[in-house]
Amino acid sequence: MARRPFATAIIALACVAAPLLGCRKHKTPGPASSSGGANPAITTAFPRNETLYVGGRQWGEPSSFNPLAGWQDWPVNDMNLIYETLLMYDPLAGKLVPLLGESYTVTDDSVDVAINAAAKWSDGQPLTADDVKYTFDLGKQFKSLLMSPLWTGGYITDVKLGEPRHVVFVLDSKKKNALPVLDACVEIRIVPKHVIEPMLKAANNNIDDFLKQKFDKDPIGSGPYKLLAYSGEKIVTVRDDNYWGNKVFFGGKLPAPKYVTHPIYKSNENFSVGLMQGNVDVSSSFMPRIQEKKVVKAWYDKEPYFVPTSIPMLWPEILHAPLDDVHLRRAMAFAINYKDIRDLAVSGYSDPLESGLVLPTGLEQKFFSADDAKQYGASRYDLDAAKAELKAGGYTAVFKDGELVETHDKAGKKLPTLYIKSPSGWTDWESIVRIVVKGMRAAGIDVRERFIEANVFWGDLYSGNFDLIMFTPTPQPEPSKPWSRFDYVLNSSEWAPQGEKRYKNMGRFNNPKAPGYVARIDELLDQIPRIKDEAELIKAYRELNVLYMKNQPTIPLVYRPNQFYEFTEQHWKGFPTAANPYLPPQMPGERLGTRILWHLTPVGGS
Amino acid sequence: MLRKNPTLRHVLGRAGWYFVTFLVAVAVNFFLPRLGDANPIDAIMARGGAMDSVSAREKEDAYLREFGLAQTDSNGKVVRSADGKPVKTGLASQFVNYVEMSLSGDLGTSILQYPKPVMDIILDAIPWTICLQLPTIILGWLFGNLLGALAAYKRGVFDRVLYPLALLASAIPAFCVGILLVYGLGIKHQWFPAVGGYDPSTTPELSGAFLSSAAYHYVMPFLSIFLIVVGGQSIGMRSMVIYELGTDYVKYAKLLGMKESKILLYTFRNAMLPQLTGLALAIGAMVGGALITEIIFSYPGLGMAILTAIQGNDYPVITGCTLLLSITVLVANFSVDVLLGLLDPRIRAAQAAEAN
Amino acid sequence: MELVKGLFKIPSFLFGLALFLGTLGLAFFGPLLWHIDVVSRVGDPYMAPGAGHWLGTDHLGVDMVSMLITGLRASLYVGFLAGVVATVVGTLIGVYGGYKGGLLDDILTVATNLFLVIPTLIVLILLSSSMEKGRSLTLIALIIGCTTWTWSARAVRAQSASLRARDHVALARINGYSTIEIVLEQILPYLLSYVFMVFILQTATAILTEATISMLGLGPYDSISLGKILNDARTNEALIGGKWWAFIPAMVLVTVIAFSLYVINTAMEGVFNPRLRK
Repeated sequence: MARRPFATAIIALACVAAPLLGCRKHKTPGPASSSGGANPAITTAFPRNETLYVGGRQWGEPSSFNPLAGWQDWPVNDMNLIYETLLMYDPLAGKLVPLLGESYTVTDDSVDVAINAAAKWSDGQPLTADDVKYTFDLGKQFKSLLMSPLWTGGYITDVKLGEPRHVVFVLDSKKKNALPVLDACVEIRIVPKHVIEPMLKAANNNIDDFLKQKFDKDPIGSGPYKLLAYSGEKIVTVRDDNYWGNKVFFGGKLPAPKYVTHPIYKSNENFSVGLMQGNVDVSSSFMPRIQEKKVVKAWYDKEPYFVPTSIPMLWPEILHAPLDDVHLRRAMAFAINYKDIRDLAVSGYSDPLESGLVLPTGLEQKFFSADDAKQYGASRYDLDAAKAELKAGGYTAVFKDGELVETHDKAGKKLPTLYIKSPSGWTDWESIVRIVVKGMRAAGIDVRERFIEANVFWGDLYSGNFDLIMFTPTPQPEPSKPWSRFDYVLNSSEWAPQGEKRYKNMGRFNNPKAPGYVARIDELLDQIPRIKDEAELIKAYRELNVLYMKNQPTIPLVYRPNQFYEFTEQHWKGFPTAANPYLPPQMPGERLGTRILWHLTPVGGS
Repeated sequence: MLRKNPTLRHVLGRAGWYFVTFLVAVAVNFFLPRLGDANPIDAIMARGGAMDSVSAREKEDAYLREFGLAQTDSNGKVVRSADGKPVKTGLASQFVNYVEMSLSGDLGTSILQYPKPVMDIILDAIPWTICLQLPTIILGWLFGNLLGALAAYKRGVFDRVLYPLALLASAIPAFCVGILLVYGLGIKHQWFPAVGGYDPSTTPELSGAFLSSAAYHYVMPFLSIFLIVVGGQSIGMRSMVIYELGTDYVKYAKLLGMKESKILLYTFRNAMLPQLTGLALAIGAMVGGALITEIIFSYPGLGMAILTAIQGNDYPVITGCTLLLSITVLVANFSVDVLLGLLDPRIRAAQAAEAN
Repeated sequence: MELVKGLFKIPSFLFGLALFLGTLGLAFFGPLLWHIDVVSRVGDPYMAPGAGHWLGTDHLGVDMVSMLITGLRASLYVGFLAGVVATVVGTLIGVYGGYKGGLLDDILTVATNLFLVIPTLIVLILLSSSMEKGRSLTLIALIIGCTTWTWSARAVRAQSASLRARDHVALARINGYSTIEIVLEQILPYLLSYVFMVFILQTATAILTEATISMLGLGPYDSISLGKILNDARTNEALIGGKWWAFIPAMVLVTVIAFSLYVINTAMEGVFNPRLRK
């Protein structure tokens, strides 16, 4: 009997020791090698009024902070916290904002970016035009890197050092398309040549081996924060008080939070709970019915709450009957209850859908024509119009007891059931697909939902293995919008047959070798990036959009923000909103949203 | 020597069979995930941002080489068939490669968390799982057995109240308990933190702040498992004790006028033995059992690692985790077999009879 | 027969039976009493319970009572199908292995242990991603049945092994009866009540397993089950929003089915295992 309390004590000890064992590998980068400033002490507790908690960007244990790897984790991917881009894009004003690049000039043949003379790396070395050239040249040498599509896509032929501190991207003389270069300026993070080059050399120039380097030990970047520690539960960055931009952009002011921390939760609802209980300050996770959560705020204080930047859509596989028939595709578009999608599947986080590939609000509004949409578009819930299109295509539906049994084509043959593929577990898409199926079946089109494993989804999507599939083209706000969205949906160059992978126009619309090829579409896609005159540009976009609507190669469903932007002011205040739009709705640390960090103030004094 | 020692012979025999099971399990664990059509590379390819055909193919080749999923020619180029699809490496040669690496302690590299080694993923996750599950299961088992024995012995009102409650507790699905705890104590009343293993404002180390926050976060996940274990164990123990109380040896002992407490001790000991099986099995299965708790409370651990790996077709992680799972379950079962053989005279007798 | 009659005198048995028949009744006769419609939107998302819709609506504005009755039917279907599969497979393997012993028994034990070490979840996901139609309700039931039979096999094996030494079995063996005959005529009849109890437990386990699998988001694509209702509630944050009608009723139904089956099982145990009576 005497042994019992002992056993209990051991168990109690085990309970307490658990998390300690768990943190066996809690990584704390070593002291800075040659950093100018004092290395911040590894603090054990992070005071709430000095720490900003961000969420929704990291769902599992971080694996790599390598700035060149495509799979980077939170403070690197899309962030300007550790590494920085040349420019930043303001999706509200449609302007490019300086960062490492002080200014830029676009001509017919080149994009010239002047590098800020004050820019320096966290080890004190100056950040030069040579670093920039080196970064982009890596994409020419190693074709699997993020910047390589600039080269492999044939948009640039060279990156040159121009005048002192100038980098010149030489555009392909036939395409003369500067848009992808500008996109790259806001998306490609510049890496330190003096760090990367020796490492690559040590890896015998084998990029696969180099990409395995984690960059988790005091990585050298140019941004306002440094990696402090990380584990499976959180990633912590600490302010670099010597950040070059403090003086250049903010008159010497430091960003308010000393620490920016991303706790790692496993699901959306965990981030929602975090926001509601004040453990997370700002998050880009999906949170349904935000209006019910009193402490959580968004960009707008009423519907649609968020700023739309993208259009999730259905992609029919166009090479084969019956989906090669535009009547059927238009009938499908007319048969969908878009209001139900908006109200139920996305919690009202969308403006009413308009036809075409142009967003009817914000910067793209000038390219939108309500008249065109009304005349040619099919993106409105209209069962009579759907039935008229079906009739025009010679389709008949067989109903029994009000339930659709099958659909026949004009030859009287039964059509196979068409399946809409969507990744299983993507709940909002699941809801959208259910509403779509309900509407189409009511109109007499034999479709069903098919939710597939996410890993199978990507292969099916790119190789064209589907009847219809859910996908959102190029969701990020970029200088090239809406051209890049049209290009992604309609481009038929680099044609690949079904079965081979294709990373644009996966429904394989407008086969250049097929009889019905509309050459005008590819012409317009080629011309638009070169048009300078706005009236002419509007005309070209309208023509392209009408061609899109007439052919209906995809079926838009709803508008979505690229990322959600939810915050609470329980611990920090000063977040931008529609009422105070001093910066766009982006996560602090992400793209232009990085600057929010300088505008925050702790609640209740610091 | 084996002839003379039936117990040892029995143990060795069982060990042999368990080893066979283990070998088959390793093979099944390896081949099952790879039977499907899915290409895990597609999933990581999708993370890479903007792509065109050239850079995508280059990237795909790099991954295929890294994970040994496609055949390569003498220059290290991935071999592709006429329609552009990579020619897959034969499963058999993948398996040989896998066994060789596993024997040297290398479980490969995760695909989803590339370039993280599988071993690191497991080592990072397992302490949390063990520390949440092991004490909970053991405490729940002890407490449940105590309650069950008491109920069987006392009967009456105590039994009539406790027994249906225990039955109910074991009928509630594990996730329901978890969800109700999160909803009731975590969100509605906010008595306990709803998610995580410790407060993000602390760092895992030996400090009061951290330990108290870890203990605070421990309460709800602990309760959600504890309640169910207690329910299940007390039911089992109750029927075992009632059963033992009705056996001939107890009646005989009573006739002999043996002291009540002594009789109780015997019955308790005999009833405990089969309950040990339950304990060992529960411990063996704790990795799988942790899944629900970990998801609901967003608690770190191995269950979560497995689920993520399965959803992403992360073959190396699935195989690594299932290997671990197989080992723990088999070891637990084997220990039960051996222990029961050593402790239970009835089984020992049967073994001796078998030997003759 | 005496024993069966005895069963109906036990209050706990009657209570469990009534509870179980109640859920069965709800599943079978519910659609007659309530207009079932799991497609149409009848109100706002997560509309609170009220007249017309006693348990409100789900995240798509669908009537919750309709969802629950449909889900209950699916869960019972999974339970029975998986229960039958698991019991039949487990009993056959257990009885045969237990009676025969020796090498065959060892091989069957390896097979049994093998299923013990390979988690149901993994088998389920892998099979479903290789099947064109994906995870159907029937597939899930079959997989649950095929992976949970192990413990009934172990339990039955122990019983069967203990019967082997009985006189009447030895007598049959001496009289030259074949193994199959002995198993069918001398062993199985003695185990029938036991097998039935195993079936009840397997059914309860299958219903709980399906609910768990679906709750993790790995549920059937083609039907609504109680677990799927719970998963929808979880992923659409009904929990955080305090929309109790979206998850409490489904939880209660799952628990009531499992609880009633457990009560029936223990009551039967008391009757068929005389030593448990007092």
